[in-house]
Amino acid sequence: MAKETAMEKRRKGNFLRHMERHWPYYVMMAPGVIYLALFKYIPMLGSVIAFQDFSIVRGVFGSAWTGLANFRKLFQYDDFYKILRNTLILGGLKLVIVFPIPVILSLMLNEIRNQKLKKGIQTVICVPYFLSWVIVGGLVFDIFGAGGLFNNIRNALGMDTVLVMQKESWFRPIYVISSIWKEAGYGTIVYLAAISGIDPGIYESASIDGARRSQQMRLITLPLLVPTVLTIFLLNIGSFLELGFEQVYNLYTPMTYSVADIFDTYVYRSGIQQGQYSFSTAVGLFQSVVGLILVVTFNKLSQKYSDDGGLW
Amino acid sequence: MIKISWKDRLFTGTITVLLILMAFVALIPLISEISISFSSKAASDRNIVNLWPVEFTLESWKYMLTKGNIWRAFGLTVLSTLIGTFLALLITSLMAYPLSKKNFPAAKYVMLYVVFTMIFKAPMVPYFLTLKGIGLYNNFWVLVFPHILTAYNLIIMRSFFKQFPDEVEEAAQIDGCGKFRMLFQIVLPSSKAVLATLGLFYAVPMWNQYQHPMMFIQDVKLYPLQMKIRQIINGGGDLQAIAAVRHVNYTEATLSAAAVVIAIVPILIVYPWLQKFFAKGAMLGSVKG
Repeated sequence: MAKETAMEKRRKGNFLRHMERHWPYYVMMAPGVIYLALFKYIPMLGSVIAFQDFSIVRGVFGSAWTGLANFRKLFQYDDFYKILRNTLILGGLKLVIVFPIPVILSLMLNEIRNQKLKKGIQTVICVPYFLSWVIVGGLVFDIFGAGGLFNNIRNALGMDTVLVMQKESWFRPIYVISSIWKEAGYGTIVYLAAISGIDPGIYESASIDGARRSQQMRLITLPLLVPTVLTIFLLNIGSFLELGFEQVYNLYTPMTYSVADIFDTYVYRSGIQQGQYSFSTAVGLFQSVVGLILVVTFNKLSQKYSDDGGLW
Repeated sequence: MIKISWKDRLFTGTITVLLILMAFVALIPLISEISISFSSKAASDRNIVNLWPVEFTLESWKYMLTKGNIWRAFGLTVLSTLIGTFLALLITSLMAYPLSKKNFPAAKYVMLYVVFTMIFKAPMVPYFLTLKGIGLYNNFWVLVFPHILTAYNLIIMRSFFKQFPDEVEEAAQIDGCGKFRMLFQIVLPSSKAVLATLGLFYAVPMWNQYQHPMMFIQDVKLYPLQMKIRQIINGGGDLQAIAAVRHVNYTEATLSAAAVVIAIVPILIVYPWLQKFFAKGAMLGSVKG
């Protein structure tokens, strides 16, 4: 008995000493911790409405529990497979077509000897990254619209006007082109930095041995760039499901919903505009759980490949 | 000096020409939009504007800048971005500083709490309902609060603080400097580069944000810039009726092009800084610890 109180006293003493020393740290973290609780964790807990027949009037605690009914409905729903397919296709296109572009651009930029010209080109190709998707969407609609540049060129070549933005077959190319235009330039920054970290001695001895510049690019720069490329590639697979609500939302039209609708746009329309709260939360929760598995898996892999890889 | 072979010259020359061409192609959307915004009604109606204004006129710009109702939206975006960036830097540095301390045992657990928000995203509907529940629906502050702390930026700042020399802080501590003073008077003043970089990391998405205002703001008076631009592009704001009036020298197309260009101009003005600090930030992001 007496022993226990002594230990308790000591523990209490430790705690007080800890607080005496560290209390300012707790005060500093408090706003951030509360912020994350309010804006991230409460909405996460709110996902329980996916297992309910949620009604705004009754609230989370008053609504009836329905178990897995919403998820059963989801897996029987044609639209679910449609948005799953669209997400996989658009994500796949991003990985296969969009991802390699900045790598190629960086290898090319690295060949330019004139530093001013190199800087100038970089400056130009990075601009679109800073424009909003609303603006990029506006530019795309104007260029590919009925009287836009694209159709003017087609007409000049004797082809018919195409309503690009209203055609299902055109949505994926538009998605890919707009992704490249907006993000490829900015993507070169990290690769060019990796290239500039390569020991110049390697190039010197290669050129003494008579290696041409094209061989140096293929046999020195590219292989030394592979770890960086691989790390970023793995992180990109990890965020596979985050295709960007704003991009799709600013590029699609009701005529292209069938090929353009992804999880986020679908959940927005069905959940927030039409008020199917519980069902849309089930769709969103499915996406979040699959996303979690992907991020954790591919982050682990990328940490394996490089010491400072991974998101955390 | 090593002699450069003609093969190398050809290789480098081809790549240079290709890149210059690509840079030009990348500029075409902007050039085309600018051209439309400065073209006349007749030229726009006949769809003959490509890469140069046809029958140059300032009418569309004049209309947009004086009667386009974009100044209110512009002001709201400037205001929310300034307030938001300030709050974001404050809350992020306050939280990152203790988390960078090796001798602070709670840091580990709080980091887990932070990182988890990066890997598990709350579904949109409960997120919407929560924010609506705390009164952010149709509220100016929804342009600010949802964006003032991200795990990614916090981790960057934390790894920057970790590199701050311990000796400086120890010396200050011996002189009786408290932890708050340490952060605000010693650590932050020598972190200007990282503050500028993260400030822009927060500011650019806030300036460009569309999803939050679209979800939460119904009141046209509270529309930020991107909402206003989208409304104009979509033919809202009665452009069709406005341009249908006779004797005006603009069309729906030239007016919406002017609006888009007007929204691009502020980005171009601050672009030199954006480029400089985002390049720095891309590097910071890869130094984690």
